[in-house]
Amino acid sequence: MKVCIVGFGSVGQGVARVMEMKKDELQKEYGLDLELVAALDRSGAAINPEGLDIKQLLVTKKLTGKVSEYPEYGEEGVSGLEVLMDKVEYHCLIEVTPTNIEDGEPALSHILKAMKDGKDVVTSNKGPLALKFKEIAQAARDNGVQFKYEASVGGAMPIINFAHENLSASKIESIYGILNGTTNYILSRMAKEGSSYEQTLNEAQAMGIAETDPTQDVEGEDAACKVVILANSILKMDVTYDDVEVTGISQITPESIALAKKEGYLIKLIGEVSPESLEVSPRLVKEGSPFAVEGTLNVATLKTDLADDVTVVGKGAGSIETASAILSDLISIWKTK
Amino acid sequence: MRLKLVLELLDVPGQLLDALNPIGRLGANIVAIIHQRDVKTERGTIPVQITIEGDKDTLNEVLNLIEETGIGIMEVDGILRKEKITTIMLGNIIDQDLKDTVNQLNKIDGVMVADLDLKMSDHPEKSASRIVIEAEQGRKKEVLTKIKDIGNLKGFLVINEV
Repeated sequence: MKVCIVGFGSVGQGVARVMEMKKDELQKEYGLDLELVAALDRSGAAINPEGLDIKQLLVTKKLTGKVSEYPEYGEEGVSGLEVLMDKVEYHCLIEVTPTNIEDGEPALSHILKAMKDGKDVVTSNKGPLALKFKEIAQAARDNGVQFKYEASVGGAMPIINFAHENLSASKIESIYGILNGTTNYILSRMAKEGSSYEQTLNEAQAMGIAETDPTQDVEGEDAACKVVILANSILKMDVTYDDVEVTGISQITPESIALAKKEGYLIKLIGEVSPESLEVSPRLVKEGSPFAVEGTLNVATLKTDLADDVTVVGKGAGSIETASAILSDLISIWKTK
Repeated sequence: MRLKLVLELLDVPGQLLDALNPIGRLGANIVAIIHQRDVKTERGTIPVQITIEGDKDTLNEVLNLIEETGIGIMEVDGILRKEKITTIMLGNIIDQDLKDTVNQLNKIDGVMVADLDLKMSDHPEKSASRIVIEAEQGRKKEVLTKIKDIGNLKGFLVINEV
């Protein structure tokens, strides 16, 4: 199966890395031969219809920061759309450019174009999904292609495919979860050390757990995108980013955390998905409840009619962890061929 | 010993029987039942007063079994069963008239502020207060929404339970 990775940041590189790590196993277990025929980043592209040398590609990216510097097959200034316009034969688009919650571009155009060209799509990009879920799902149906996005919510924590495939007999009434690792890490540290929000954020940034511009994480925007995706995908609601009530953690103080602790509660940033309410906000959770997870872990409880409450916990971020979800989606697509 | 219960029944056939079943099964005795279908709570449910007799353990088991069947127990021996709700409000608590905040919460039907704890900060607008509220059974969701409204009106960040 020939794949094309659009976006070669930490997630894109992670995907390439796991493809290389699992090459033999994929062949042995599933008869799957994944060929990376194109990789794109802001510099341009590396395209080889016979398949790129992943080790070489990763080294090039590490040394120069540009895939266009890949020997012989690198090209400067090739934009995503151009490549997708028939420059190379491929079966599946892996869209992992940075999330843009303003208009979901350029990912939205990449995804729709690929689908129109009859290609399957696997993505971790929350932007287009949080803004235009319905249109994208419809485009996949109209063009008869597979559309998978497990990596967009919870990283390696299974939830989307889990709900669809393993809870298919139950009606999922609501979902509550900690969906952002950065904010969970910050709140956990504040609780453990009694430190201020600002100080803890700075430390998280120094450790690479929070971005230089941490807004998407700390203001709850990232979690809100995931709430939208879960609402559309699992609860079959028709909602977008604007339908979510969003409050981040920037106002949380060590005093409030201490007050909560006195009554046996922790403060966590919780995403709530239900027909009556779509919300991301700091909430009180009981110590010892499934939501009392520390660090960058994600957790989600799905409330169902038949299976009662089902809870999943896992690593919500990390390039290899997120890439594992993308690889799982690729295997799923392969199994349908 | 005797226990006076007030149960909350839905206005559908068979409810009373469902409520009495556990009592008989566990060997407690029914002393009195007052059931008036015309008297309804604001939720449209029917309060039924049942006085039962038995030993302490049996009566405890009866209470548990009734709750397991999903029937709400509104009162036990004249004392209303309460739900405890904890919330934390962040903001300039003192400046925004703490007394008024507590009064507004108490004004909510069936709600009483049971406990209040304050932690001041160097910056007054970052003060935090923990408020524990006792509310009538079955009203948690409604109360949480009202708490959020009151808090938001005063410009507080309201941190409610999940």
